[in-house]
Amino acid sequence: MKPMEETTVIYIENNVTDPFFNFALEYYLMTEKNLNEDQVFIFWRTEPTLMIGKYQNTIEEINEIFARNHGVKVVRRITGGGTIYTDMGGWQFSFITRGQAETIDFNKYIGPVIAGLEKLDVPTEFNSRNDLVIHGKKFSGNAQCLLNGYTLHHGSLLFNTDFEQMVKCLTVDDNKIISKGIKSAKERVTNISEYLKELIDMDTFRQLMVESIMQGSKKEYRLNDDDLERIHTIAKEKFESWNWNYGESPKFNIIRTGRFDGGKMEFKMDVNKGKITDCHIYGDFFGSIDILVLCHALIGCNYERESIKKAIEQCDIKKAFYNINEEELADIIC
Amino acid sequence: MKKNIQMPKLSEKMESGVLAAWNKEVGENVEKGEVLFEIETEKVVSEVESLESGVLEAIYFEAGDEIKVDDIIAVINCD
Repeated sequence: MKPMEETTVIYIENNVTDPFFNFALEYYLMTEKNLNEDQVFIFWRTEPTLMIGKYQNTIEEINEIFARNHGVKVVRRITGGGTIYTDMGGWQFSFITRGQAETIDFNKYIGPVIAGLEKLDVPTEFNSRNDLVIHGKKFSGNAQCLLNGYTLHHGSLLFNTDFEQMVKCLTVDDNKIISKGIKSAKERVTNISEYLKELIDMDTFRQLMVESIMQGSKKEYRLNDDDLERIHTIAKEKFESWNWNYGESPKFNIIRTGRFDGGKMEFKMDVNKGKITDCHIYGDFFGSIDILVLCHALIGCNYERESIKKAIEQCDIKKAFYNINEEELADIIC
Repeated sequence: MKKNIQMPKLSEKMESGVLAAWNKEVGENVEKGEVLFEIETEKVVSEVESLESGVLEAIYFEAGDEIKVDDIIAVINCD
């Protein structure tokens, strides 16, 4: 990898706010498109989105029901670290650099970002988790991956993000889940806009940051129709897929308990590659039931509401469970 | 000849890393330069390529395990 001062950089303006497209763009630049420049820089934002770390267990990290009901998108990153919430009040930046450094270095990517913030008099510090903080509160998380001879460094910048929504999205039900996935760290957060002496809007902030990071260079690449077609395909096939966002989670065990008129019911399940691989049901429910029939129906199906509902529907549970319908049962399991 | 595969040290402060995923199974042939496994440390995901060609003879850790730098993760039989 070249030293930073010799690195040639090109900027891609990206106004798409769909996170699946934006992650596909990064991936496309690393795996298919070989631009001549050593480094590509992108500054982008998303509709409300939960971004999960590559080796995290998605259902362990997010409030899926809240996210679903509020149209918050869920997408797994190709980089490490924990889960973050982003919305139109924040910005993301990506550096895609040809070559893989022998050792991890965050400073060379975050340095230009800090320099940009200093021009706005934002008192920025770098903490031990590779986050940027103001007075100890995080406003930027950073992560990397080394793939196909490229280094991707991307980070978030909280500018005017809705923290109430963030907290609700990240407040997880107290399910009993055991997994070896990477866990997120809870940190206090803050918005950059609170520290600006002179209030500027989102677009002005972007313009100032891009100018600072590009150091006056106007070198820009515009995505052509071929690029866009491939990026849309990658977005759909990879980043939007249930398999990537949920199925790629590390294996886990989950215990789900439900109480209802008929009694109490507990499901203990093993989930591997997103599929239920083992299932045991316990409880003091009434009804003439062969629990094994339900267990067998559940084993092999995706740990996802629709698949589970379909499996239950095959079992004719009305006879088996007293006073419970398919919907209620699906709610307990997933 | 048998070669030990160790947890690499990717930064000065790195003491351990999480073995995030295996790309090969025991008994499989491995070519030099092929990705053997992926690790995560300090929020960096990194593919680790094999420096040897041979058969993956043994693996001592599974995905999700945290492993100290230099600990032996696997053995490749290069004969």
